[in-house]
Amino acid sequence: MKVVGKSVRKVDGIPLATGQPVFTLDVDLPGAAVGKVLRSPYAHAEIVRIDTKKAEELPGVLCILHHGNVPRTPYTTAGQGWPEPSPYDTFLFDKKVRFVGDRVAAVAAISEEIADEALRLIEVEYRELPAVLDPEEATAPGAPVIHDEEDARGIHDPQRNIAAAIDIRVGDIERGFSESDVVVETTCEFPYVQHVPLEPHCVVAYLDEEDRLVIRSATQVPFHVRRIVARALGLPLSRIRVVKPRIGGGFGTKQEIILEDVAAALALRVRRPVVMKYTRAEEFTSARTRHPMKVRVKLGAKKDGRIHAIEMDVLSNTGAYGTHSLTVLSNVGSKTLPLYNKAPHLWFHGKAVYTNLPVAGAYRGYGATQGYFALEVAIDELAEKLGMDPLELRLKNHIRAGESSPIFEKIGEGREGKAQVVKSCALAECIREGAKRIGWYEKRGKHLWDGPWVHGVGMAVAMQGSGITDIDMAAATVVMNEDGTFRLLVGATDLGTGSDTILAQIAAETLGVPVEAISVYSSDTDFTPFDTGAYASSTTYVSGGAVLRAAREVKRRILEVGAAILGDPPEDLDLAESYVVSKKTGKRVPLSEVGHRAMYVTDQKHIIATASFVAPESPPPFAAFFAEVAVDTETGIVRVVRFVGVADCGTPINPALAEGQLEGAIVQGIGHTLYEEMLISSRGGVRNPSLFDYRIPTAADVPEIEAVLIPTDEPTGPYGAKSIGEIGINGPAPAIANAIYDAVGVRLYRIPFTPERVLRALRTRS
Amino acid sequence: MAIRRYHYARDVDEALSLLLAYEGRGALLAGGVDLARGPGTDVEGLIDITAAGLGGISRDAKKGLVIGATVTLEEIRTSREARDYLGGFLTEVMRHVATLPLRCMATLGGAVVSAHPWADIPTALIALGAEVAWRNEEREERAPLEELYRRPFRAIFRRAVLTEVRLPAWGGAFAFEKVSRNAGDIALLNCACGLGVKDGKVAWARVAVGATPYRAARLTGVEELLVGESPSAELLAEAGRKAAAEAKVGDDLRASAEWRRAVIPALVRRALERAAREVKGDA
Amino acid sequence: MMKVYFELNGEQKYVEIKPGERLLDLLRRLGMKSVKEGCRTGECGSCTVLLDGRPVRSCLTFAAKAKGHRITTLEGLGSPEDLHPLQEAFLETGAIQCGFCTPGMILVAYHLLSHNPDPTPEEVREAISGNLCRCTGYAKIVDAVLLAAERKRKGDWR
Repeated sequence: MKVVGKSVRKVDGIPLATGQPVFTLDVDLPGAAVGKVLRSPYAHAEIVRIDTKKAEELPGVLCILHHGNVPRTPYTTAGQGWPEPSPYDTFLFDKKVRFVGDRVAAVAAISEEIADEALRLIEVEYRELPAVLDPEEATAPGAPVIHDEEDARGIHDPQRNIAAAIDIRVGDIERGFSESDVVVETTCEFPYVQHVPLEPHCVVAYLDEEDRLVIRSATQVPFHVRRIVARALGLPLSRIRVVKPRIGGGFGTKQEIILEDVAAALALRVRRPVVMKYTRAEEFTSARTRHPMKVRVKLGAKKDGRIHAIEMDVLSNTGAYGTHSLTVLSNVGSKTLPLYNKAPHLWFHGKAVYTNLPVAGAYRGYGATQGYFALEVAIDELAEKLGMDPLELRLKNHIRAGESSPIFEKIGEGREGKAQVVKSCALAECIREGAKRIGWYEKRGKHLWDGPWVHGVGMAVAMQGSGITDIDMAAATVVMNEDGTFRLLVGATDLGTGSDTILAQIAAETLGVPVEAISVYSSDTDFTPFDTGAYASSTTYVSGGAVLRAAREVKRRILEVGAAILGDPPEDLDLAESYVVSKKTGKRVPLSEVGHRAMYVTDQKHIIATASFVAPESPPPFAAFFAEVAVDTETGIVRVVRFVGVADCGTPINPALAEGQLEGAIVQGIGHTLYEEMLISSRGGVRNPSLFDYRIPTAADVPEIEAVLIPTDEPTGPYGAKSIGEIGINGPAPAIANAIYDAVGVRLYRIPFTPERVLRALRTRS
Repeated sequence: MAIRRYHYARDVDEALSLLLAYEGRGALLAGGVDLARGPGTDVEGLIDITAAGLGGISRDAKKGLVIGATVTLEEIRTSREARDYLGGFLTEVMRHVATLPLRCMATLGGAVVSAHPWADIPTALIALGAEVAWRNEEREERAPLEELYRRPFRAIFRRAVLTEVRLPAWGGAFAFEKVSRNAGDIALLNCACGLGVKDGKVAWARVAVGATPYRAARLTGVEELLVGESPSAELLAEAGRKAAAEAKVGDDLRASAEWRRAVIPALVRRALERAAREVKGDA
Repeated sequence: MMKVYFELNGEQKYVEIKPGERLLDLLRRLGMKSVKEGCRTGECGSCTVLLDGRPVRSCLTFAAKAKGHRITTLEGLGSPEDLHPLQEAFLETGAIQCGFCTPGMILVAYHLLSHNPDPTPEEVREAISGNLCRCTGYAKIVDAVLLAAERKRKGDWR
């Protein structure tokens, strides 16, 4: 392969490297107004009265929106395909507020200072309601009902604050445990943690010359934004255009309609461009978070190490609104249980409950991360009870190519799944390679001391998915220019991941041209074909599948023209090095001549093709993670000394970009494992809504991450590719937990492993 | 913060008279980090003192270190004078403070005046016996920083310009320890300890523990325990334990009192061990 | 309002500012969109610019402080037609994902290499530890800075 498999430079690299104005807020629109949101100081309250008169009279205030002057339509803010498998429990503005930081009203003004002043002048009378601040209490009898509105839809059991629930059985779990020789049970907990993209949420909404609403947004899901804003505002979809410029990171928090609905509503009222952005504090209080979860795993095994029964019980806290509640809950089991596919008895059950707390949504890993923390710690505990090396236990039980799991069929994306057979899996090689690099056999159990620091090694394995089977659709258009170069139009969303580049590489490989011959335009609902967006690790596999098919069709048409020029039949021709070449005679004609002829000279047609792709399966990537930690036994500080992540993502279309995804996800995972936690006050507010108090890893905190790719050839993926976007974040919490156990003999079940928690565990043990 | 005027003070007199003229609605601006982060809505005038002649680091006649109020933390960290003073103790302390770009802005004077209880610099300065000088309406005043912090110093600096920090010469060595969650974070606990040894016995000791979460205090009971004894491993460990008993600790967002009390012994012991090694020449 | 003169990327500027205006906002309205707002409290580093060659947080710097000084933003280091060796290195190693942290990161790297021509990986990590990146895990950023250092030692620099 000429282009695929090469670490070519990003196609948008130069604008980013030189600081060109390519991000959402880098445009200056004359006459733009500033939009700001008034936020609730209460976790749960009714808005009894809202008086905006004083605020409206302030010179420079253009309009104020609240529940009294906007349409009331229930929708979900989840950027998912229709029908969104999330409850329609959100309103543009409601008469009720359900968490500290919830929307009360919005102002458009001619400057930020005036908008801030207007917010202060809005008078709101609240009737405070008792709040649910603990997910364990959400379903208790007599608990306040958070979603008691009549017009919400799709909530599993609103009276008991259950947004979503799941109960999946395979075999007979009771029999499974009674037949097991060894049983372990463990519960692991994930608190509130956040994505922290460097660029906060931001949007510019304006009416263009044709009175169409244009939304320029840092979004991962432009097409879902269009549809959901149309619904929320009662606008025809055709009147809305959503454009995604470069984004400063997303990780799932931008797979959500956070600001676009309110900015659009303001822009329509004031008929001027409206610019809105989140402050960093608003990012913490009023954006999205990971679903905090308690996951209980019970494993039963035969004494030879065969896992015989797995139970997984989940309590997920979805916060005040149910966005992604069902699908994240489902993924806790659907992305973990198939890994140990040979256990005949499975029970996966749980619920996602509402609380009057910050809203959880989509976050890289999407439930699998929380699931793997519990599962991979339980596996280590099982290995210990069996007297086995945990590495051997995993090698013995993990899924292989040619195998399947009943879970694939039982759990889909908020619905029934679909059976699939794994066609590519190099997990065993990943495990062995990682063990070699970390020095597993040399270091494990050795308790090497270095002053007050004692070292240990631990591991974890994971799989994820590549896109959402039968649901997510991507389309691509390949356009040939008259000079033999191409334009690639894709709805697919590059959030810094490099998907524009990957997709250009796939097209270039197919068309026999260098990647420089493909210019990419992406994520504009007016000009690029449909794509569900950047989530579920789908862009390479699903969007890539569409690009492959569109490029093949364009190739076919080029060869037809080439045949006419060269006089050889199309079957004898191929594309290479920007030429149409005859495989039989070696005769060739440059693409520039083909393009020119087709455009101007004879039998004129524009060589252009659009293809759509829905994936009939979701081939999992696999990864093995190895951590070496050092624990300071006098302070409880844990440092990661080395971290190795070895992944099978199929064919890495661009190895450097694939490694970059793995490295970044691993460090993000180290963040939630050691440092990150949103602290909630007794009144339900976030106590540390700043980067001063919520610490994400710096360059001085992490060692060199060894990210290794073991290629396989996934027959269903474009040039053998699967995905890599999410899987890396699943490794650090369990691998580090297991490494800490190796070092100091204490098991920690609740992240982050702060010096406080570690020292307390050390003291308790001794 | 609705700033109406920005002044560039050409000298301390001008800075002071502007500050007094604003009657509480003006603020001195050096690095501006604290001011920009938490301005206070009643500040109308900013008085930039970075060109008021308060820069400069020098050794004084008694081999102490004199640092002007508007010298930045990074200037201190990279200066030859700091490297030569007490074996580079200040250089070591500055490495722990914030991050490079913030150190290029923040000044020593700013650190002294803002006196955040979690900060590292007050702990080090108190252990070092720093003396600060300031100019108020009436005169130039001086006081040991430790004593100044026991006075209503915020009220003092609302009507005065801090001019310099003077660090005495010590015949011995100091070491600084800090526990934080990650790089660039403020301390969960910090300590600065110094030892002078003569004829195999501790001649003097300075022990200050801060970010407890309270501002640093010298633990004189621990100092007295050390003086006159041989700096053995057992003595230093005992000093650590005594520090945990003597220090005032509490809870905050980052750590509990319980954790702090459990960790102080190790932290103080480590700082004393390093200082002792350096005094012996083994550092 | 008040007027300040200062040098921006080698060019003399004479502009009107509000007394309380931040340097971040001034630079962005002068067209320097590479200077980013990520937190506005000096923590994230996306707003980092060089003032007289030293890295500072433009979100915490009052615009009036620029008077009489030299400000350098990424636009002053190189352009699409004429990339700075650091920009080349970042592109080559894959050190840029979303690109939001990149301007601040490159300027801090520039400052490092200006006075430390042969940094160890640890020294690079320490120097950039005040610039947060959430995408890359820093691995390829460190590679880029070391690569640029190597090329600088061979004379490929400006």
